[in-house]
Amino acid sequence: MPNSNSKIALAAPAVEEPSAGEVKSSARKMIRVALISITLVCVWLTVRFPFQAESGLEYLLNGPNSVNPQTLHLRGEFVESNLGSTEDAGGGVTVRMIAEQYLFVPQCVVVPAGVPIRFRITSADVVHKLTISGTEDQIKAVPGYVVETRLQFARAGVYEMPCHEFCGPGHYTMRSQLIAVPPEAFRNLGREARRDCALR
Amino acid sequence: MLYGRGLRRVGSAILTVAIVVIISGSALLLGSDVAEPPVRIPSNVAWTATTIAQASSGNPLRGLIIARRCDRCHGREGFSSSPAVPNLAAMDRLVVWKQLDDFRAGKRSSPVMQPIANSLSAQDTADVAAYYWMMPIAPDPFDDRAFPQPMPDPKHEAVAVRLITAGDGSRGLPPCQACHGPIGLVTGAPSLTTQNAPYLLEQIEAFASGRRANDINLRMRSIAAQLTEEERQALSESYGAGLAPSAGPPTR
Repeated sequence: MPNSNSKIALAAPAVEEPSAGEVKSSARKMIRVALISITLVCVWLTVRFPFQAESGLEYLLNGPNSVNPQTLHLRGEFVESNLGSTEDAGGGVTVRMIAEQYLFVPQCVVVPAGVPIRFRITSADVVHKLTISGTEDQIKAVPGYVVETRLQFARAGVYEMPCHEFCGPGHYTMRSQLIAVPPEAFRNLGREARRDCALR
Repeated sequence: MLYGRGLRRVGSAILTVAIVVIISGSALLLGSDVAEPPVRIPSNVAWTATTIAQASSGNPLRGLIIARRCDRCHGREGFSSSPAVPNLAAMDRLVVWKQLDDFRAGKRSSPVMQPIANSLSAQDTADVAAYYWMMPIAPDPFDDRAFPQPMPDPKHEAVAVRLITAGDGSRGLPPCQACHGPIGLVTGAPSLTTQNAPYLLEQIEAFASGRRANDINLRMRSIAAQLTEEERQALSESYGAGLAPSAGPPTR
């Protein structure tokens, strides 16, 4: 920096070592730069970090289980190609469903019997409740949140899953089916057939 | 001195930008590690408050001028000249807006409608939607609605009335009127009471086979796929003839 100490050079001969004041001001500048960068990174994290959530702020306030019920079909784990039962990287099975007026989609899901299954359910409009017939299990689907639970089906068979929370004029027809099959039969099923057994 | 400070400021700005770029780049790389199934998006329209406000902001007077290029198929007052073309009179603004947006984005395919939708801006779309929304539901006696609507088969009628008012709980089929009116109206669901039977039948078939897949969250595809051939006929005939039941409590 040839120009930085030109005034000092007029008053006294040039010194190699920087003065105490200069050291202090350059340290202050470094702190300022660091603070600015940290602030910018924080702002960026808030706005952009959770790619799956609607906005970073929402994610930070509500945690990872917050979704925007109006944009489920546009981004995130509830896009239509990701619904139904899927095998995770760890070997576990996850079922993702949307409850909406007046359907649970997909309307038919296949799961392996005798294995704990992770259910992730959200609602696209109002509160619904998935009841699994023959068991004590009920899952409430709340718009804006993902409700996660683990269920295990002891025996193979067809389980009816009606809605058990009044949700509007079509409430009493709202139901879907869950088919529990032996684990080896589940492994042999194709991706599409697993996703929605109503398609078969 | 001033010049030096300016240089340092530029330097610090570059440093910050670099840090942000590096972090965002690494986050994107980490994100791409996760193997995701191919994402299919049925429609770019989401019924957020912003979208609803935009779709409802149309000026019907501008729409009146733009809609003149729709006359040939959809009729001067929204009653179409061909049974394969939908009537648009009194159609909800949001419905017309969404369908035009889907045609434009290629989410719903039609060799006729896609080029037309491409020529409309978002504002034009809202204007046209507002125009049809204001058209009266009863056709003008001088309007050219020349083709006769097929009268429904009497034995079909009972099937249609049951599905429209009560649905079928054993198959998880909701009553049509819970979303399409008059009992309940879901955002983006069209009213079907003045619709043409052949057009309705074609749309039910298209939803069932997946040829048309622009319904949000698989709603119509799940329902249409479960309807039998007879039920599809019965429903489209009943709605087409204007015989669909009006408001009343659902019966089982």
